[in-house]
Amino acid sequence: MSAFIIANIGPLMFAMLIILLMIGYPVAFSLSANGLLFGAIAIHYGLLGPELIQALPQRVFGIMSNDTLLAIPFFTFMGLILERSGMAEDLLDTIGQMFGPIRGGLAYAVVFVGALLAATTGVVAASVISMGLISLPIMLRYGYDRRVAAGVIAASGTLAQIIPPSLVLIVMADQLGRSVGDMYQGAFIPGLGLAAFYALWVFVVSIVRPRLMPALPLEAITVRESSGKAGYASLLAVVVLAVAAAYSLAAYEIFHPIWACALVGGVAYIAALADKYLNLQLLSRLARQVVIVMMPPLALIFLVLGTIFLGIATPTEGGAMGSAGALILAFVNRRLDLKLLKQAMDTTAKLSSFVMFILVGSTVFSLVFRGVNGDLWVESLLISLPGGQIGFLIVVNALAFVLAFFLDFFELAFIIVPLLGPVAAKLGIDLIWFGVLLGVNMQTSFMHPPFGYALFYLRSVAPKEEYTDRVTGKRLAPLTTGQIYWGVIPFVIIQVIMVGIVIAFPTMVTGVLDKGTGINPNTIHFEAPPPPDSSPPPDFR
Amino acid sequence: MQLLLTFSRLIDWLNERVGQTAYWMVLAAVLVSSGNAVVRYVFDYSSNAWLELQWYLYTSFFLLGAGYTLLRNEHVRIDIFYSRLSPRTRAWIDLLGGLFFLLPIAILVMALAWPVFTESFALHETSPSANGLLRWPVKLMIPVGFCLLALQGVSEIIKRAAFLMNLIPDPTPHHVHGEDELTPHDLVEGEER
Repeated sequence: MSAFIIANIGPLMFAMLIILLMIGYPVAFSLSANGLLFGAIAIHYGLLGPELIQALPQRVFGIMSNDTLLAIPFFTFMGLILERSGMAEDLLDTIGQMFGPIRGGLAYAVVFVGALLAATTGVVAASVISMGLISLPIMLRYGYDRRVAAGVIAASGTLAQIIPPSLVLIVMADQLGRSVGDMYQGAFIPGLGLAAFYALWVFVVSIVRPRLMPALPLEAITVRESSGKAGYASLLAVVVLAVAAAYSLAAYEIFHPIWACALVGGVAYIAALADKYLNLQLLSRLARQVVIVMMPPLALIFLVLGTIFLGIATPTEGGAMGSAGALILAFVNRRLDLKLLKQAMDTTAKLSSFVMFILVGSTVFSLVFRGVNGDLWVESLLISLPGGQIGFLIVVNALAFVLAFFLDFFELAFIIVPLLGPVAAKLGIDLIWFGVLLGVNMQTSFMHPPFGYALFYLRSVAPKEEYTDRVTGKRLAPLTTGQIYWGVIPFVIIQVIMVGIVIAFPTMVTGVLDKGTGINPNTIHFEAPPPPDSSPPPDFR
Repeated sequence: MQLLLTFSRLIDWLNERVGQTAYWMVLAAVLVSSGNAVVRYVFDYSSNAWLELQWYLYTSFFLLGAGYTLLRNEHVRIDIFYSRLSPRTRAWIDLLGGLFFLLPIAILVMALAWPVFTESFALHETSPSANGLLRWPVKLMIPVGFCLLALQGVSEIIKRAAFLMNLIPDPTPHHVHGEDELTPHDLVEGEER
């Protein structure tokens, strides 16, 4: 018996972990209990010395002084304040007006606003709830298919998980020992790619089944010229002018591209405000309103991502500045009060606490698990998979996809990633690539029926009973839970396709880093050689 | 049992107060950290003391908030089976989990971390970086935080036992764990305000 335990203590410990977690007691303490139990067994059999347990306070202190994780409460706090700052509502209204007259327009608006909100914050709930409250009733009113409407809202909300700044990527960077800034840069193209795929899907559906997403009728478009024109020409002119100006400032190296965008954005904003208040009639109402509502999110994106990518701020400070910016925005919009502030601080403190205690628990677990060479057991299992790098990535992603049905990403990231990271490094996989890949994959954990958070958030704001529409006065059926579940399935499939694309084209992630933007260039390829020739990256040149 | 329940209410009150005081440090951390970034960029000046204050604050609120988080039942669970169990079975899980999962680690870390603090206090240990802060206040947070957690663990155990003995109604706060506690209901209320 004891010989069996000694020989198989790693696998036994892992099996026990699964059992303990499934019982349903808080993960943080189940993890540490498992660690302590097997620590005691290992000490009993002389596999480990008692000094291992003595090291615990030191480990806890190490977790505390970890600057990277400090970004978690900041981005959470920022998301919570933004959720109520009125920004999302303004955006959805105006962008909905902008895209409304085309077929599938509201769906495009949801994807677009989802991506924009995702680039300002790392919290899913904010965008799903706003879109569920604002866009969903309009979509149902004008005859959108319910599954399509539910799916596009839930999926667009989860973009916050992969488009930087996101909490997933912070945890991933920490667990894989890479810089958050690199992780953010690496995730940019896959994140925007996903948003583009969502929009493409909307386009395809609007062509194949136009009845599922009709254009808004004319009376629903309220932002118009007094002459009745929509005012697109003016908007187009503004966009073309702005892009040209920013491009030339950057191309002639007058400014760094990020500064160029900030400058052009600022000028456009001032022009729009001047036009509005001085009544200059330079711009159409639509163009003016679009410029004005786009400014708060773009300013926040600059404050957070811009400063990180420019190397002015660390991700932690970027998060703090974003939080300060969100507070200012909420204050300006007269949404900031003591109740909101307290709620946001309360939720942030509790989230930080449970995240950090999961980390403490997983530290106790992995301290013992490594002590009894469990990590070598995992490695031997995974490294011998057929297909080398690609085989490993496919198996790992399939595993993460399945686990994402049961676990949320904090659990996945703290339990699974530390076990997989070293194996990936040994196989020569770039850890930024690996982290982004898992990030895209774990995004599905928010969409998987029946436990995905995004679905749950949407459910909580969608009509559960038959209701009378405010505008048309018609009786409308509720949105059923089944419709929400079916609606996200196409998007889960898009997600899987994206995982495949990122596996096939690692340059989507690493290509951005290789250009070198001055942020910790020495940490980019630390111990990971470039992918071998078995999977040649495509050459676009 | 009534005595124990009184003790449990006392603990709940304590952690409620501590948690709701500690969360102000979230705002403090936001201000300190954004201030650091601005000052460094504008004045090209940075101070290790202020940089360390960032994580001192963070550490303080996540450790001091641990008991409060438990009180609010916000430590995440894998509730795929748990959510389908009867309230009594759940109470048993929480009772036994508290005794055998939570208390051992909380007490162990508390006991091991106390001497680390006293040593740091006696030596007036400061951080190794120039102008760094004194270390003992943040090292004190480890035993204090885990002590608050252990106390709340005891309180939860008492409440579950009392529930199983039919002395009190189900003590579990009703809510689904999530990363975000601002419920949609609050949002709608906010709209109407």
